[in-house]
Amino acid sequence: MSHQVLLQKLTSRLPLGICVVNKEYQIVYLNDFFTDRLRHVGGDVYNKNLLDLYPEAAKYLAKKINSVFVLNNASFSYWEHKPHVFNFSSSRPITGEETLMYQNIEFFPLDILHDSVETVCVVVQDVTELASYYRAQRALSEELEQEHKALTELNKKLEAAQNQLLQSEKMAAIGQLAAGVAHEINNPVGFVSSNLQSLQDYNAKLFKMIHFYRKLIQKINNPTYLALEKDMLQRQQYVFVSSDLPELIRESIDGLERVAVIVKNLKLFSHVDNSEWQFADIVEGLENTLKIAVNQIKYKATMHCNYQENLPKLYCQPMQLNQVFLNLLVNSAQAIENKGDIFIDVSATKEMLYVAIRDTGSGIAPDNLRKIFEPFFTTKPVGQGTGLGLSLSYSIIKKHKGEILVESTLNEGSCFTLQLPFLAPEDYQLDQAADAASFQP
Amino acid sequence: MNTLLSEEQRDALQELMNISMGQAANALARLISAKITLSIPKISAVTPHKFLAMLTKRTVWYTRQSFLGAIKGEVVAILSKDGCDAIALLMDYDLPLTQDTLNELLLELANILAGACLAGFAEQLSLKAKLSMPTIFMPAALRVEQYRWASTLIMEVEFKVEASHFDSKIVICLEEASVQTLLATLQQLLE
Repeated sequence: MSHQVLLQKLTSRLPLGICVVNKEYQIVYLNDFFTDRLRHVGGDVYNKNLLDLYPEAAKYLAKKINSVFVLNNASFSYWEHKPHVFNFSSSRPITGEETLMYQNIEFFPLDILHDSVETVCVVVQDVTELASYYRAQRALSEELEQEHKALTELNKKLEAAQNQLLQSEKMAAIGQLAAGVAHEINNPVGFVSSNLQSLQDYNAKLFKMIHFYRKLIQKINNPTYLALEKDMLQRQQYVFVSSDLPELIRESIDGLERVAVIVKNLKLFSHVDNSEWQFADIVEGLENTLKIAVNQIKYKATMHCNYQENLPKLYCQPMQLNQVFLNLLVNSAQAIENKGDIFIDVSATKEMLYVAIRDTGSGIAPDNLRKIFEPFFTTKPVGQGTGLGLSLSYSIIKKHKGEILVESTLNEGSCFTLQLPFLAPEDYQLDQAADAASFQP
Repeated sequence: MNTLLSEEQRDALQELMNISMGQAANALARLISAKITLSIPKISAVTPHKFLAMLTKRTVWYTRQSFLGAIKGEVVAILSKDGCDAIALLMDYDLPLTQDTLNELLLELANILAGACLAGFAEQLSLKAKLSMPTIFMPAALRVEQYRWASTLIMEVEFKVEASHFDSKIVICLEEASVQTLLATLQQLLE
C-alpha cells in the first residue's frame, strides 16, 4: 500500500470531518465524513464554495476562517456556544433524543507560504454523546437543586408547625391546669368571702355595742368606772383597733375580689365557661367593649376608630371576642405613659376580617415579643397584670381559627392585628364537639 | 530568586518575548481595529504557592489552554471583566452578552492572544508547539497540595485596549522538563 493510499483510507475512516479551503473558501479537500452527510451532492464538490454548501452557517464560518487567514493562528468553536454549525443530523437517529449533531470545530492554518496562510483546515468532531451526557448531568443537578430548595422550604414549614404545635400543647396543658386550679380555688374563696362579709357585719355590730356601753358609763358618771374604762381602752389600744379593724376587713374583701377576677380569667382561659356561638356584628362588640374600658382609657389616650362600611357578620363567640378586645385595649392604655393615641381599624376581604388595634405607647422589647402570648408572662407591676390577658386572647383567636399578629417598636408603639376568617358554623362543629367531650366541670 | 536562569539568559528570553508579544499585539489590533499597548514581559520562576496567589482576583476571568511539542506547558489568560462589552462590540458580537456568548468571546480572545504569543515565541526559538482548545478556568477550587511540580518558569505580558478599558494578561507556564529544553536552545542562540 502506498503512502498516499494509506492516507486516503485513513481520512475516509476517521471519525472526524476534515475540510480544507483556500482564501476564496473554495473546497480543496473534503473527507468522507462530510461527503457522506451532504444531502444534495450535485456532482463534484471540489472547487465549490464551502459557504454556499452551508448557507445557514456562512457568516460564522467566514468569520472563523477569516481570522485564521489573518492571524495565522488556530481558532476553535465549542458545542456549548455553537452546537450545530454544520447542519449534520444526529449520529443517533433512532435511539438519540437529539436531532442534530453536536460539534466541536477547530480551524487551523494548513499551508503557510512566506508567513501568509494559503489554506485553512476545518476539523469537525462529533461530540453528541458527550454533549447529551453533559446536558443530562446538568438537568439532573438542576433538578437536585430544585428538590433541595423544596426540601429546605419544607423543613422550614415543619419547624414552624412544630413550634406552633409546641405552643398550642403548652397552652392546652396550662388550660387544664388552670381549670383544675380555678375549680379548687373557687370553693375556699367562696366561703372565705362569705365569712368575711359576715365578719364585717358582726364587727359593725360589736362596735355599736362598745359604743353603747361607753355612753352608758358616761351617763353613770362614776369617776372610778370612768378611770377603769379609760385605762382599759388605753391598754387594748382601742382607738387604733377601732379604726384599723374595718379597714383590714375591707382590704381583705378587696383582695378576695381580685382573686375571684383572676379565677374567672383562668376559667375563661381554659374555656370552662363556654359562651355561645352566633353570627355577630364585630363593630357592635367593639363599641360595647369600649364603653366598659372607657374609664381606663379616657385619661390616657384619644380613640381613633375607623370601620369599613357594610361589614358582614362573623360567626363567632362574641363575648369571648369582646374579652380579647378588652385585653388589647387595656394593654394599649397601660402602655401609654402620659397621653397618647389608640387607633382601631376594622376591615374585611371576602375571606377574612381584620381588626387592628394600634397604640403610641412604650412598645415591646424584641426579647419579650416572643413571650407575650405565654401564660403568666407580664411586664406590668405586681398587682396590675395576671399575665393571662394575651394568652387568653391567643387561645380565643385560635379557637376562631384566626391569627393574632404583633408588630412593635420600642418607644414608638405596638400594633396587634386580629385575622378572623369568615367561616360557616359547620367549620367549627368538630372543635365544639371535642370541647364538649373534654369539658369536665 | 530566578535561580533557574542566569542574568544573560533572562535578558535574552525577555528580548525574545518582546518580539513575539509585539506580534501578538499586532494580531489583536488587526482583528479588532483598536490600539493595543503592551507591558514589558516579566519572566520569573514560581512555586505552586506563588502561582495560585496569582489566580485569586475576582475582577477577572481566567482561561487555560495547553500546548504540546518540543516545549510543553499551559497558557493562562487573565481577562478583565471591565470592558468586555466594548471588546464584544469590536469583535462583532451581539450585546448584551449571555453567559454562553461571554464564554465564547473570552475563549476566542484568549486563543488569539495565546496563539500569537506562543507562535511568535516558538518561532524565535525554532521550537514547535501546538496549542489545544482553550477552556474556561475556575482556579478557586485548586489546592497547592494537588500540584506535582516544585517550580516552573512563567512568562507574563499585559495587553491593554485603552479605548475600552480592557485589560488582559497572558501567562505562559512551562513544564519543568521543558525549561531545560528552553535553556539549552537559548544557550545555543547565545553562543
